[in-house]
Amino acid sequence: MTQYFEVVDRDGPARLGELRITPPVTTPATVDDVLEDYGSLWTDEHATPEEDDVGGVAVLPHRAMPSGTPEEILEAMQETHGDVDLDVATAAVTSVDAPEASGHDMHVLTGLREGDSRRVVEAALDCRRSLAPDSALYLPGVAAPANVATLAYLGFDCFDSDYAAVHGRGGSYMTTDGEVAVEKLDELPCCCTVCRDSSPDDLSPEEVAEHNVFALEAELSRVRSKIADGRLRDYVEGQCRSERWQVEVLRLLDEEETYLERRTPVARTTEMDCNVSESMDRIEVQRFAERVIERYTAPRSDACVLLPCSAGKPYSLSRSHSEFREAIAGRAHEVIVTSPLAVVPRGLENVYPAAHYDVPVTGRWTPTEQEFVEDVLTRYLELNRYEDVYVHLPEDYRPFVESACSSADVEPSFTCRDDEHPRDDEALERLRTSLDGLQTSGRQRERRWYARAVADHQFGEDSWDSLDDLRIQGQMPRIRVMQDDRQLAALTEYGSLALTLEGVEAFEPPDVEIEPFVPEGSVLAPGVVDADDSIRVADEVLFEGEECRGVGRAEMGGREMRDSSRGVAVSVRHLDDSV
Amino acid sequence: METHAAVNDAMRRIRSRKERDADPEEPIRVWIDRDRTPDGVGDSLTIVFNTDGCRWARAGGCTMCGYVGESNPGAVDTESLLNQLEHALEHERTERDDECPIVKMYTSGTFFDRREIPPEARHRILDSFRDRRVVVESLPDFVETDVVEDAVDRVRDLDVAIGLETADDHVRRECVNKYFDYQEFVRAAEVADDAGAGVKSYLLMKPPFVTEKEALEDAVYSVRESAEHSHTVSVNPCNIQRYTLVDRQHYRDGYRPPWLWTVVEMLKRTADEDAIVVSHPVAPGGDRGAHNCGECDDDVYDAIQAYNETGDASILEEPDCSCREQWMELLERERSWHAPLA
Repeated sequence: MTQYFEVVDRDGPARLGELRITPPVTTPATVDDVLEDYGSLWTDEHATPEEDDVGGVAVLPHRAMPSGTPEEILEAMQETHGDVDLDVATAAVTSVDAPEASGHDMHVLTGLREGDSRRVVEAALDCRRSLAPDSALYLPGVAAPANVATLAYLGFDCFDSDYAAVHGRGGSYMTTDGEVAVEKLDELPCCCTVCRDSSPDDLSPEEVAEHNVFALEAELSRVRSKIADGRLRDYVEGQCRSERWQVEVLRLLDEEETYLERRTPVARTTEMDCNVSESMDRIEVQRFAERVIERYTAPRSDACVLLPCSAGKPYSLSRSHSEFREAIAGRAHEVIVTSPLAVVPRGLENVYPAAHYDVPVTGRWTPTEQEFVEDVLTRYLELNRYEDVYVHLPEDYRPFVESACSSADVEPSFTCRDDEHPRDDEALERLRTSLDGLQTSGRQRERRWYARAVADHQFGEDSWDSLDDLRIQGQMPRIRVMQDDRQLAALTEYGSLALTLEGVEAFEPPDVEIEPFVPEGSVLAPGVVDADDSIRVADEVLFEGEECRGVGRAEMGGREMRDSSRGVAVSVRHLDDSV
Repeated sequence: METHAAVNDAMRRIRSRKERDADPEEPIRVWIDRDRTPDGVGDSLTIVFNTDGCRWARAGGCTMCGYVGESNPGAVDTESLLNQLEHALEHERTERDDECPIVKMYTSGTFFDRREIPPEARHRILDSFRDRRVVVESLPDFVETDVVEDAVDRVRDLDVAIGLETADDHVRRECVNKYFDYQEFVRAAEVADDAGAGVKSYLLMKPPFVTEKEALEDAVYSVRESAEHSHTVSVNPCNIQRYTLVDRQHYRDGYRPPWLWTVVEMLKRTADEDAIVVSHPVAPGGDRGAHNCGECDDDVYDAIQAYNETGDASILEEPDCSCREQWMELLERERSWHAPLA
């Protein structure tokens, strides 16, 4: 059971953790200064330490397995100290090729060398699968300013300054864009205390090492704040470009959908930049498209208008969309076509990440973008049959929208000519008159559709079916779902519905079984008896125990709730302790 | 001393992939070396006989040793061994006009093991070198009074060379996977000494699973200990031989042969020993042998060779290179969980 490490925040696979020693260490961080090595069993006999002797993290006597050690030896001879339970922070050394679970606060991972993308990704996955979720993973001997963001994104928590220092003293000068022999530099691209007022010729080997460690610590500081902001992925998409193998890591990791999907929040307020081709592969993007296809049902079938996205989010608040909405006047279903989210029906425009993403717009679509949007739009139009489809999109959308319509056997009407912009008066006028004769939806109905879209997206298809007597109160997007005079749910700033205890009955969120106690503010992981596998960070969950039931927001995934011995599992929203 | 079944299993599996195809009529290698002995420096005819190899290696064997892979699949008879001897003598005759004063004979196993070299062959081989200093290699358990006395009688000077590898029983068992303990070496050294033979100790610098710093300390300690029982200590920096555990680790960047700086440091720190301390790195400067940064390897190796011949420690102070800084940082920082760090 881990006592001295706690995951306090998550950003995809990356975590912000606290190593609870004196003074505490916030990870991702270098930990070489706080480790106490109790010895290699390869070279001598060593006893496990006495509790009173340990100040930092005790690395228990170990048999480290270097890369390439034969499997017979890995399987038979690792020393994991699974039965040692000391009341101090402890670490066990284990190989990434055969990670052996033990209850220690940290695992020191051996056998991994920098630069082999496939092995690095496999190691991260294997270790996070096999070792307790609230144990810190220390990847020794590889961290450098250029790679530590990617390594933290993979899910490693602890590093050291040894690679940076040893190679620095050998003359290798490191920055976030890589390493170079110091004598090859004309000037120092850094203003740390070592480099300021110095020059490449004047730096001693010790000073190069010192600079490297500064650069590494600065990058780790940046990584920690990116995780806290929920922006590490955005950062890594750019930072990984410094070395080929890191780009490979990102691409290979994106193929590991299960690993990433379990760890990606379903809602948050964080912005999301989609600036590179890998942004298309983000779980947020894939999951949104999947839920549009699998969970969303268009609220009307007479007509829809395909609209371009706007730079401002949510779309409705942009000038262009208020012009479109004014022209449409509630007479057709509005569906936004965009990269990389593909298809955003109006009712989902506040849902994460539809209101949060940003994407470079040049009027030129990459083949990957076109292919993805075309595929999702085709499936959407096949599942949601409209009598009429109006395409109010600029020329650059035309090729793939036409082929999507054709694949879905839809004959669209184009309301924006090739030489027009959708906001041009002529185009807007054409859109307006094309819809003549169609029924206006009405404000209450539109709000209801809106709430239903969000509920289906969040709780699954047809979450709403039996709820004919529901009413919507409030102004968009701050709406509340009411049944008689009881509130069931409210739309949050996250773009998702927050449930009341009454809402639990109606929407049936996934549940968490807890020990017989009444939580105050949050349910902690050790109080969790069981939790649904499907739970993701930011999901609404029902928690129930012998002494209370309540509803709250998941702060970790379902598996992690079950397997962790520290940390907040659920933030309580409403509680009933009268059961 | 019990070695680990898992290590032996691994070693047997690794070795099983090598097909042995040696010609029993020729020695594995013959060359002329130069060695410092208690009589001074001289050329040495060095012969590696092809036998059926080390008995211990068949059971698993040492983690760095690939010599068994070069040995003959079956027993080699006396006639073939004498053909190998003739081949070696012919090599000496073509290389030089006079005889080398020293002869070193290896079998990749044990010269005194009668299964490797039958007594008749052993006698005929030793008799052909009666006026020279002869060095033969043996595991300690084959060093018995009657056999050594017999050999001592047949040549001018006999040295028994024992592959102790390290004076630390724990490291020898866990990292080298060699089965005998230090006391067995001491017993063999005393038997050899009592029988009138000299003792030469072979040590291994940096077996797998140890850091550069541990390798240095272990070598220095082992030189000091074994110098009590031998007139010459030869420290072999581990090199990468095929079909070995270190080869597997090296291929996956999990092992690096020692730095030449570590060899230099070990020689400096043992220069005051009474015994002759030498080191002959195999494949120096290369990825598979002891090496530094690539820039200074030749100079540092030359200094080591010069020290081997003269014992003059001031030679070891001469070479310098910026990579020595990196090596010093490495000694400070490397831990077994992230070795090799550089």
